[in-house]
Amino acid sequence: MDLDKLQFKACVRSGWQAIDLGFLMARSWWLPLFMVGALPATLLLIPLLLVFWESPHWAGVIVWWLKPFWERLPLYLASRKIFSEAPPEWGIIQQVRSLYLKDWLPWLLWRRFSFNRAFDAPVTVLEELKAKPRSQRLRVLHGKHTDMALANQLVCFCCELILAAGLFTCLLFFIPDSLDPGVYDSLESLTLAGVWIYTLCYFSAMILVMPFHSMAGFALYLNRRIDLEAWDIEITFRSLSQRKKQAGSRLIASILIPLMISLSVIFQSTPTLAATDHNNESARELISEVLKGEDFGREETVEKWRFINWVEENQDRIPEWLIDFIEWMEANFKFDDATEETLQTTAFWLKVLLVVIFICLLVYLFYRFRGPLKKLGSSRQPEAAPDIMFGLDVRPESLPDDVPVQVMNLWQAEQPREALGLLYRATLSRLIAQHALRFKSSHTESECAALVQAYGIQSLSYYFFQLTRIWRRLAYGHELPQVNELKALCESWSKEMAHDPQ
Amino acid sequence: MLLDTSYRVEIPGGIELEAQVVGPVPRFLAFAIDFMIRGVMLLVAGIASIPFGELGTGFWLIFWFFIEWFYPVLFEVFWRGQTPGKKVLGISVVQDDLTPISFGASLVRNLLRTVDFLPFFYLFGLITMVSNERFQRLGDLAAGTLVISIRETAKPAAVTDISPLAPPTTLSRTEQTALVDFLQRSQQLSRPRQEELASILDEITHSGSETRVEQLHRIGAWFLGVR
Repeated sequence: MDLDKLQFKACVRSGWQAIDLGFLMARSWWLPLFMVGALPATLLLIPLLLVFWESPHWAGVIVWWLKPFWERLPLYLASRKIFSEAPPEWGIIQQVRSLYLKDWLPWLLWRRFSFNRAFDAPVTVLEELKAKPRSQRLRVLHGKHTDMALANQLVCFCCELILAAGLFTCLLFFIPDSLDPGVYDSLESLTLAGVWIYTLCYFSAMILVMPFHSMAGFALYLNRRIDLEAWDIEITFRSLSQRKKQAGSRLIASILIPLMISLSVIFQSTPTLAATDHNNESARELISEVLKGEDFGREETVEKWRFINWVEENQDRIPEWLIDFIEWMEANFKFDDATEETLQTTAFWLKVLLVVIFICLLVYLFYRFRGPLKKLGSSRQPEAAPDIMFGLDVRPESLPDDVPVQVMNLWQAEQPREALGLLYRATLSRLIAQHALRFKSSHTESECAALVQAYGIQSLSYYFFQLTRIWRRLAYGHELPQVNELKALCESWSKEMAHDPQ
Repeated sequence: MLLDTSYRVEIPGGIELEAQVVGPVPRFLAFAIDFMIRGVMLLVAGIASIPFGELGTGFWLIFWFFIEWFYPVLFEVFWRGQTPGKKVLGISVVQDDLTPISFGASLVRNLLRTVDFLPFFYLFGLITMVSNERFQRLGDLAAGTLVISIRETAKPAAVTDISPLAPPTTLSRTEQTALVDFLQRSQQLSRPRQEELASILDEITHSGSETRVEQLHRIGAWFLGVR
């Protein structure tokens, strides 16, 4: 078992996905799987039909009963295919006898109607377990996916019936009436010809569905084994260890190759760049040529039908035929009183229903858009001033009493960031509290400066501009301001903050 | 190219979306459930229409028409691509670029049920479904839709009682996942099998007092974010 050659992606799937994978396997190896399943069955059916000439359905029943056998060859073949081992064309024929004889009796008696038939078959056919080891093994495998095996069995059985009935009806559709084979002799029973046709149809359906059914069961079995034996982990671990081994040899190469390249450059100094040296003019031509190509421009012609003498006003008039139709309805549909009354009541209740629906719709719309509606009402109220801007606390309570002194103290204590930060947030705080400037917590420093400028006090906006500039340099650029700059700002702070609010 | 049920779409941002396509077995069962629900609805409506005589029959026929044609369409468009049957099976219809299904596409795929139904109970649909690897029936091919699985896989329990170990080398995402899986699935892997798997990774484990299996478990815990 060479997991590196695995032909499907190994991962732990859900049961449904495992069944789907089985269907994918069946369709990608469809022909060989179908042939090895259908050939032996057909080879048995033909002599049986000759024996049961008068009652062909018995031949059909016998072949159907032996279905566990017919599923064994496709299963065996698939178990080779998933590791991309192609068994020799006729080699598989030699296996037939040994494959069919494995534990055959139980499979034809009580296991014939097991719901897990396709799921359990690999244990017998591939692992070759019997009796007690087999049941122990099954107990482990049946920890999951038995419900999926049941679903697979059920759906495939339905598909078989559908396919059989479909082929049967299809055949009948295409037989001309003049050649009527007389399939039904009365309403209930088929004639002999009918039984023949139906038997052949059912047999075809059986062999057509068989690869899918048995592959889905096989995929469930594989999924259990991947889960229990961690095939996916083994594959990844192997490739990882492979990669590590290669990395060792690549290390040597990575030292050698640059060395060789540099040597070759030294000895062979051809100017390779000259070839790419287009002048501007030719480059532009090249570009326009490329842009003209199919990848960049596309023309589409869209055609539409319209009347030749189409006049706009036609659209507003009620068309003649509608008037005719309504007149015709009025003339021809006369109801008796009872019906008239029923219609009246129906119309009334319809009206009530429509009104109720309309009201419900209105209520629903109000409910659905209650958020935006609420906002619509409240947007006139001013938004609360932010407490924190750029991570700075701008509540008035958080400020010391004498801001400029505190700032200079911090500066002298060699805490320039704290000092300037205090000055900046004190300024913001004052502007919010006294001048009711509408800062939002989402504003940037420059946006705040622009707001202050729009506020209209020239010296204040100049002051704030200066402060913002210094603060930004310190905060983001880690550039210390000049001492006299800071001093000047501190000194004029009280004056600037004392402006009357506008 | 390995056989796999996953379907991949690369969106313009260069991100690859992956979905699992769903084959005939779950879809057949989902259809059967929807079929039964519709049957019950029609039965109830039929009984309710008896008192109204022929008028009732007329309305019942109209009701039948709407149920037959619009039951799947309305559910698919307004219920995230799922009819009740699909909901039970955890599958959903989407456009083949994995965007939600549009009204037009849903209408096309459900109108073409008439063709898929031929000659007998969706035989044609079953055949087209297994004749392409995305399991699209004719209606799906025409509408450009796809049935995918949206069942979420159960998350394994968190691991906390293992002391983590930093991996000795850089590992790709698949390799990291494999190591995490190795830890999380250790309950159901037999001890000899675990040792066998760990012996593959001689390169990244060191020979010490600890067994290789324990070392790999600790690396797995490290990738799970245990610190």
